Amino acid sequence: MSDISARVHEIRALENLAAGRTAIHRLHPLAKLFSALVFIVFVASFGRYDFARLAPYLFYPFIMMALAELPYRLLLPRVLIALPFCLFAGISNVVFDKAAAFSVGGVTVSLGVLSLATILLKMYLCVMAALLLVATTPFTELTAQMRRLCVPMVFVMVFEMTFRYIGVLLEEVHSMTMAYKLRSGNKKALEMRHMGSFVGQLLLRGFDRAERVHAAMRCRGYSLKHVPPSRRQFKRADALALAAVCLPSLLLRFITVW
Amino acid sequence: MHMADALVSPAVGMAMNAISVAAIVAAAANVKKDELAEKKVPIMGVAGALVFAGQMINFTIPATGSSGHIGGGILLAGLLGGVPAFLSIAAVLIIQCLFFADGGLLALGSNIFNLGVIPCLFVYPLIFKPLIKGNADYRRLPIASVAAVIVGLQLGALCVVLQTLFSGITALPFGTFAALMMPIHLAIGIVEGIVTAAVLCFVYKMRPEIIDGSARPAERPGGVSTKKLLIAFVVMTVVVGGALSLFVSANPDGLEWAIGKTTYKVLGEETELEAVGGIFDGAASLRDSVAFLPDYAFTSDPENAMGTSVSGIFGAAITFIFAGATGFVISRTKKRKKAVVNV
Repeated sequence: MSDISARVHEIRALENLAAGRTAIHRLHPLAKLFSALVFIVFVASFGRYDFARLAPYLFYPFIMMALAELPYRLLLPRVLIALPFCLFAGISNVVFDKAAAFSVGGVTVSLGVLSLATILLKMYLCVMAALLLVATTPFTELTAQMRRLCVPMVFVMVFEMTFRYIGVLLEEVHSMTMAYKLRSGNKKALEMRHMGSFVGQLLLRGFDRAERVHAAMRCRGYSLKHVPPSRRQFKRADALALAAVCLPSLLLRFITVW
Repeated sequence: MHMADALVSPAVGMAMNAISVAAIVAAAANVKKDELAEKKVPIMGVAGALVFAGQMINFTIPATGSSGHIGGGILLAGLLGGVPAFLSIAAVLIIQCLFFADGGLLALGSNIFNLGVIPCLFVYPLIFKPLIKGNADYRRLPIASVAAVIVGLQLGALCVVLQTLFSGITALPFGTFAALMMPIHLAIGIVEGIVTAAVLCFVYKMRPEIIDGSARPAERPGGVSTKKLLIAFVVMTVVVGGALSLFVSANPDGLEWAIGKTTYKVLGEETELEAVGGIFDGAASLRDSVAFLPDYAFTSDPENAMGTSVSGIFGAAITFIFAGATGFVISRTKKRKKAVVNV
């Protein structure tokens, strides 16, 4: 239950962060999107045991967080969401890859442990890159950029509406589960046999609501046909920022510091 | 079942991204042809949000004491039709990836393929629709939903295994990984199938027209037929897959690692593919000069296993502290500047 309100809170918190006014926030969304992608591709391209070579990439999230004035506390815990599957794949490495890598003061570290550490570090870097993108780019700019990139209109619309409806439906789910709990002697979770009518009900309500909202939007002149994407100039600062991420990523890929 | 960025290699990730982008473009073009598209868009948005919100609803699974949540691909396809459902799922996956750190930008294509393309564009038209036979009722709906969800999840799980394997990040052998993933997802599939069936039956009871509309084969007046769309996807997959395999074999990647491991077992020492025959030498040198990814240090030789050692780990630790300190100093300076401005 607290889970649901936590999720609503998460979205709002990210949107608040994205409304900031730092130099990073002002960058062209394309520059931010592209540098995040380049960063992730470079990080992902490292081998299974390249833990030490990956470490310098940590500068990116830390510097970005500081420049964009993002609170560490809000972003760091989110990384945990990606943890279970990575941990599963990583721990299997510990089991299957038992050859010794090196030993520190008599404790032998196996290659599997090293690769687990590498996977976790990669996970952290990649998750942070994506979070930094949305924490510094307002949602409307993100979708405007999608339009400029010629992403099909229908899809951008669906994307926008899904995002907006998530908050609405989560609140609906919250009140429905609350009502269910109060009437069911404080059960921890729904019974499976009630799922059909519960989710079905939520769905029908949602569809009705969507139709009402759509009618209201039509009344205000909304149509799928023409939404001209707002133009935005790619300035020198944007190019510099892009280069500032891409060049070190490239260099660190081929130069071994440690 | 979300793949993470840390588990895919750039080659696999980018190829899957390309396939998924192509699928989205094709699906959007298909939906747009529909005259009712404008009316459908808000409903698709709500449906996507519903999948997201639905994952927050925990229910207890009888006799096991564990809890599960709904997945969504087949559920949405049964309500909206395969192609619109695919767009909704893709939107949700992008939002989950960007805002909730579930999945990642590089793994996004894999996730859209495993959870969107497979259930909505393959399983729904090929299994759900034939089982419904254009005439939904309380007997056919449950059978079709359970079968479709199970097949969809099994194929998705198989794809996760293949994508992870081709990326070469885990040491799990294919058989073991598949043997772990498939039964788990069979169990999940049965439970999810039953819930999907229950929801679809409920909607059918309350508003039969919603289900009927999307399960009837004559639903697409004059648009692209499902069969044509399917053929297009198969062709696209083969073409991109072919390009991918070229890229993968041109780059030392999961495949080469697998080959390296195998030859290691046979010859008793680590031999690379090009070392076996001279023909590959030219190709190998060309590859090394253009390769985006130089050789991974995949070897069981502990001395150069990772091109690093104890000192490397200490170096990493120092880097971590240094990076954190840099961030700290920058935010400190910014705060101080602000304080000065405020005064």
